[in-house]
Amino acid sequence: MGRKILDLIRAIIFNRWVLAAIVVLLFLMPSLFYAREWCQELDAFTSPLQDSVCTYLIEEKPVTNAVLLNFTQLFILIILASNWNLTGGFTGYIDFGHAVFFGLGGFATALLMGSSRWEDWPALFSDWSFWPAMLGAGIVAAIFALLIGSFTLRLKGPYFSIAMLGTLVATREIVRASSNISGGGLGLSLPVYLNRPMFYYLSLVMLLFVVNFVRWIRSTEFGSSLVAIREDEVGAEMRGINTTLNKITVFCISAFLTGLVGGMWAYMNTFLDADIAFNQNRTIDMVMMTMLGGLGTVAGPVIGSTILYWLRDVLWANFLLFHQIFEGILLIIIVLFVPEGIMGLLDKDSSGTSLNRIVKGWFKKEPEEHPRTS
Amino acid sequence: MDFSDLLIQTLINGILIGGLYGVMTLGFSVIWGVMGVINLAHGEFLMLGAYMAWVLNKQQGWEPFLTLLVILPVMFLLGYVIQIVLINRIIEKPHLIALLVTYGLAIVMASTVKLIYTANPRITTTQFSGYWEFDFGGFVLPVTKTLVLIAALLMMFGLYFFLNRTRFGKSIRAAAQNKEAARMVGIEINKVYAATFGICIALTGAAGMLLSPLGSIHPFMGAAWTLKAFAITAMAGLGNIPGALLGGMMLGLVENLLATFVPTVGSSVGIISSFALLVIVLVTRPQGLFGGLKAPQEIR
Repeated sequence: MGRKILDLIRAIIFNRWVLAAIVVLLFLMPSLFYAREWCQELDAFTSPLQDSVCTYLIEEKPVTNAVLLNFTQLFILIILASNWNLTGGFTGYIDFGHAVFFGLGGFATALLMGSSRWEDWPALFSDWSFWPAMLGAGIVAAIFALLIGSFTLRLKGPYFSIAMLGTLVATREIVRASSNISGGGLGLSLPVYLNRPMFYYLSLVMLLFVVNFVRWIRSTEFGSSLVAIREDEVGAEMRGINTTLNKITVFCISAFLTGLVGGMWAYMNTFLDADIAFNQNRTIDMVMMTMLGGLGTVAGPVIGSTILYWLRDVLWANFLLFHQIFEGILLIIIVLFVPEGIMGLLDKDSSGTSLNRIVKGWFKKEPEEHPRTS
Repeated sequence: MDFSDLLIQTLINGILIGGLYGVMTLGFSVIWGVMGVINLAHGEFLMLGAYMAWVLNKQQGWEPFLTLLVILPVMFLLGYVIQIVLINRIIEKPHLIALLVTYGLAIVMASTVKLIYTANPRITTTQFSGYWEFDFGGFVLPVTKTLVLIAALLMMFGLYFFLNRTRFGKSIRAAAQNKEAARMVGIEINKVYAATFGICIALTGAAGMLLSPLGSIHPFMGAAWTLKAFAITAMAGLGNIPGALLGGMMLGLVENLLATFVPTVGSSVGIISSFALLVIVLVTRPQGLFGGLKAPQEIR
């Protein structure tokens, strides 16, 4: 019976019409925000319909800046977890320092947009507009990934994890120490731009792109070679896969996307310093969300991030002081009891994703089970 | 003070702090060597020991070095219980599981301490402060640091004696070398593991006390110390006690030389130099500089 319910949940989540409806609803949501602004500018309501709708919008405030910001942060977390999943889940290289690319992206955007506190900062690399600056952030992160990854990706297992944790901590200290560029303890402030719907749409588009991109990568030969590296690196090398090149490539792709998100986040936040940008908790978030959803699956990071974000909101609202302790305990519980994640639970012995067939199967007589002999 | 005097004084300081680094690493390195578990909560256990010393020092007025009498048994019990409840379940699983579980433990410990004692930096005060001066050359030995080095050397010698000369120590080494064979000759693996974890945590807590009069302690100092312990272990080889001492002194020397002769890097130099040392050693000599209980490559 439990299996049937899991099958039904899985079929509903992966039904293409359900997914399309969710995406359309997400795209339409800010229109309520604009409608309320339009209502507030009206002098008098001309029809009873308009009257009732506008009264509802103005008094209940269904979609505010805060709601849009919440969703944007959730989208950012999903993108980060999906990027982390490329190296951590598919390739099997558990990266404890992925937040370094996020922070570098943020700082690159801030510097390129001209918020450097250093007089000798080259004029060529300042006062850019947002879009090229965000692209530059991705490129900076990718170059850094190429440099650091060509050393650390040769390390195996836990050595890689700790070397990346070291990269994160050391980069944070270096950035903090070079205070004439990064502002040190004062931090950097970016040009203020408070258009929440813009950031909402930008992150939504990036989210759709990244998830589909990860799905596409998984379906290519390159993606299969990554999974081969995870399962048996020596074996993959013997089959003629250039493992080092593939690892570095996927690391750079993942870092590029993480850098882009970091740049967008910095512009949205309008302020950053070394401690905020290279926050260790961001790495923990990526790991926890991917683990909860299912390591090495496309949908895992999306589901895991959504559930954890909601859970954290509840914890935050009810136990402000203890929420960090709860999070640590939650991480231990997830790892001990559901190591394969939610997707692993849903996928185990599943009978396919077709809603139609699953519902039909409920009304068929089940074949008698034969005890397995082994 | 001219250049050569400055150099010699820097070397003295590096060696003095190196003893602390060595004894701080032992717990991490022996746990890894015996059980194959990388304890990411290592720095947090150190922090716990330091906070116990601080509480006894400030609220009960104890001399910090005396608090070792309390810290060692309490931390041993804590380690024993954590091993039985948590770590025993994950020893057989892939290393990722152990990394994540100990990371979760680290978050819980750091945020609990922050909740109770706030995030303000603390320091213990000892009666043994000041300097011993020497007539030749005018060098000084800071008294606290010298006592810390002596205590660290005593603890390292104690562990060395325990592992190599006692029956229980031999069973620990046997469990590290070949678990199945050790089980076959009648060693109770789970008890050995629990006692090993307890001893290592007790040593780590003691190292935390040694640290408390030297630098400020705060709830989130753990990650940096875990990284240092990892760097030294990677240099020394797993469970190699003289190697840990040498590696610790090397790190102490590098840190002190950089801090003295390279201006502007200041306080962040420790973390950067340990990271650089770690990557260089891992990339060039992945089996460690001195060998140990096992080559790190064999650990999966």
